Amino acid sequence: MNAPRLSYAQILSTNNIMRAAGEETYFLGVTRTVQESKFFPVSAYIMLGYLNAFYRYPALLRKIERHMPPEDLADRVRNVSSKAMSMGINWCMTNFYLLGREMLINLGLLRPHDACEDVFYVLDFWRRYQLAWRREDGHITCKEGGHRSQVLPERRIQVFHADLHPCAQGDRLHTAADAFLAAISQYAVLVACESRACMTNHGPYNLGGGRELLVREFYDLAEGDLPWLDGVAADVPHARLTVTTAVKDTHFYIVDDWGSFESKPEYRGEKLCGIGLYTSDELSETHIPLGMGSRGELADTLERYTAIFKDATARLWRRFAGYTRDQLMDAGALTYYNIIKDFAHIAGCYEADDWNLIDRRAERFRVLLNDEYGNQVLGALFVPLSCPSHQCSPYTMMQHSDLPKRTYSPLSAALLRDEDYVPTVGALHPGITYLPAKVDRYRTTQGVMGLAELNARVRGFVPQLCSERFRHLDDTWVKYHYDTPLADELYRIEQQYSRKLAGKGAGLSRDDIERLADPV
Amino acid sequence: MAKLYLDSNKYETAEEPLVVEAFHSAVKDLVRRKLDQHRLSWPEFVFGPSYALIDAAELAQVDRRLLDAGYRYTSSAVISALERPEAYKPVGGLGAGESAFSFEHPAAVVEAADARGRERRGQGDNVVEHPANAVGTARYYRSMQDVLDSLTGGVPPATIAIIDDSGGTLTAPILEHFKGVICAGGTVRSHLGILTREYGIPCLMNAQISGIRNGDRVEIEVSAPARTTEAYQRGIEMPARVWKLTTP
Repeated sequence: MNAPRLSYAQILSTNNIMRAAGEETYFLGVTRTVQESKFFPVSAYIMLGYLNAFYRYPALLRKIERHMPPEDLADRVRNVSSKAMSMGINWCMTNFYLLGREMLINLGLLRPHDACEDVFYVLDFWRRYQLAWRREDGHITCKEGGHRSQVLPERRIQVFHADLHPCAQGDRLHTAADAFLAAISQYAVLVACESRACMTNHGPYNLGGGRELLVREFYDLAEGDLPWLDGVAADVPHARLTVTTAVKDTHFYIVDDWGSFESKPEYRGEKLCGIGLYTSDELSETHIPLGMGSRGELADTLERYTAIFKDATARLWRRFAGYTRDQLMDAGALTYYNIIKDFAHIAGCYEADDWNLIDRRAERFRVLLNDEYGNQVLGALFVPLSCPSHQCSPYTMMQHSDLPKRTYSPLSAALLRDEDYVPTVGALHPGITYLPAKVDRYRTTQGVMGLAELNARVRGFVPQLCSERFRHLDDTWVKYHYDTPLADELYRIEQQYSRKLAGKGAGLSRDDIERLADPV
Repeated sequence: MAKLYLDSNKYETAEEPLVVEAFHSAVKDLVRRKLDQHRLSWPEFVFGPSYALIDAAELAQVDRRLLDAGYRYTSSAVISALERPEAYKPVGGLGAGESAFSFEHPAAVVEAADARGRERRGQGDNVVEHPANAVGTARYYRSMQDVLDSLTGGVPPATIAIIDDSGGTLTAPILEHFKGVICAGGTVRSHLGILTREYGIPCLMNAQISGIRNGDRVEIEVSAPARTTEAYQRGIEMPARVWKLTTP
């Protein structure tokens, strides 16, 4: 018997996170059916990805924290675009891990309290990261904030607002923006093997005048971490893109933890009234505008990128069409599992084998993962909650369904008494993949380079906004110090690439920004 | 026989889906057997010998036994049935030349032709409300070959694609050329719903249809209100109709 090492408070905190995550998973699942695809064995690969997450996340997160704690990771992510924002962490990180755990519990291969120190560690890492990343908002998830995802500080929103190029239905920029958003969304879904892992949305931010800003992020577009993009994405000029969209007369009343949005009235392309385009990564101080010098230049850029993404889509589709089922399984499972991999990039400790292999402990289940079992078990774990671990006392009524069920098995407080447990799954085991070996080529904002150089450059770079001088200057501080030289200095760093705000400092109100921006 | 933690479950309801129940019961039996055979305590077993004792070869036998009992899986991805035809039910309607194939969903509402010669053949969830309905020629896209054919030879004009794949990848390279989409799965928030919205392509998701074959002229009621998240959550139907046009 092991001496209990988790405290009562830690057990209770872990259970709170699991309960909230489970209820939101139910909500998200009930508004969308199980995702099936004729191309990818989606549910089957999802389950393989979840199992890989269960066995590997604890060791990898501990490795990342040895290089950088979660609060520091969050402060880095705040100023650039990263997969470690919005959907990838809001929902995926915790729920991928917990859904893998729940599957093993229901297979009889795990008791709820086995690996309980891992469960606590993974969820606590997530909690610490989320609290820091969402510090301006104060909610730990979009769900907690009433399905809003208002995560950016004012200094960044002001730049996005001021630099928007106005567009209207029928003009060239609007047409180019519509076509670009469709093409990049299509490409991102294909890159992510029929998932949303390579795109998310956050906001809305109120621009005034009946307009809201929805920020749309796209990741892993170019040659980089994903082996299936080697070669076919050679012409894609940026790995990450941020598209700022101003939308009129449309209220985004849901921006959920999957990065999906709902609006009233429903979103239509014709309501798009402003657009901007940026790239960024761990090697950039902040967002770098792309083609933002003029409306014509931006339209040119969007049209050029649309053609590039359409071409890359066709090439990638043909590559996937030649894959075996095992290769499609690997690509999908890794897309899911490695959705948190940007933590390692931010910390400068990314290793391809950490994120591109299926751990042998998870791999053994591949033989069970036919399409039907995949669909049934994924469905059972999400919405009907029909596995033995889900059932609760008939006196209870779960949020959303009123049924006596819960998504995740809590840790029992009896751990403090007499329950024995094995605290952790331990270190990484060797892994395998059916995919071709990853080419050592990574596209960044500082050009194309090998992984060793990328890690070295990241470790040697501390963005000014993350220096001790600035990193804790949040919007609460700015509210009472906007008229100080330090606040001006902070804002000017953020404004350095801005067409409209460069050098303007911290004193501008939203109305001032509106006057500086190009008129809609 | 070793007792597993799950074996004492005050609230067991035995409602797992068939294959889940079959696999999970078999794996739990396997675990009990291995614990007995090797006289291992649970803490010794769980993150140690379990990996070698419950390995891929043992788990493959779980799959084998269900197949030997005559069960055949339902495929989702085309490649799954192609690679293991002995394990999956046959998939019909693949190939553009399959002119006789039609989805026959039991919940499809079928009505006689109206005054305009529109014979109702089902319904779906509208993704975006458009000013007018979409009219075109039905064409099934159910396999990679269907897509490759159109990728090579072009999508026929005014194609209303009928897809049983709520994802956005199967038709990725040709989606923008469709005049409309009828998808027999998903919801308006599924990938195909999102992508058709981005492209401005009229689309019905979660469609139930009957008696529509390749080459039929069809009309989809995309002028109907879009189905909302609240409607899904509360189980409120907001059907947009699908018609086969009996007059040119």
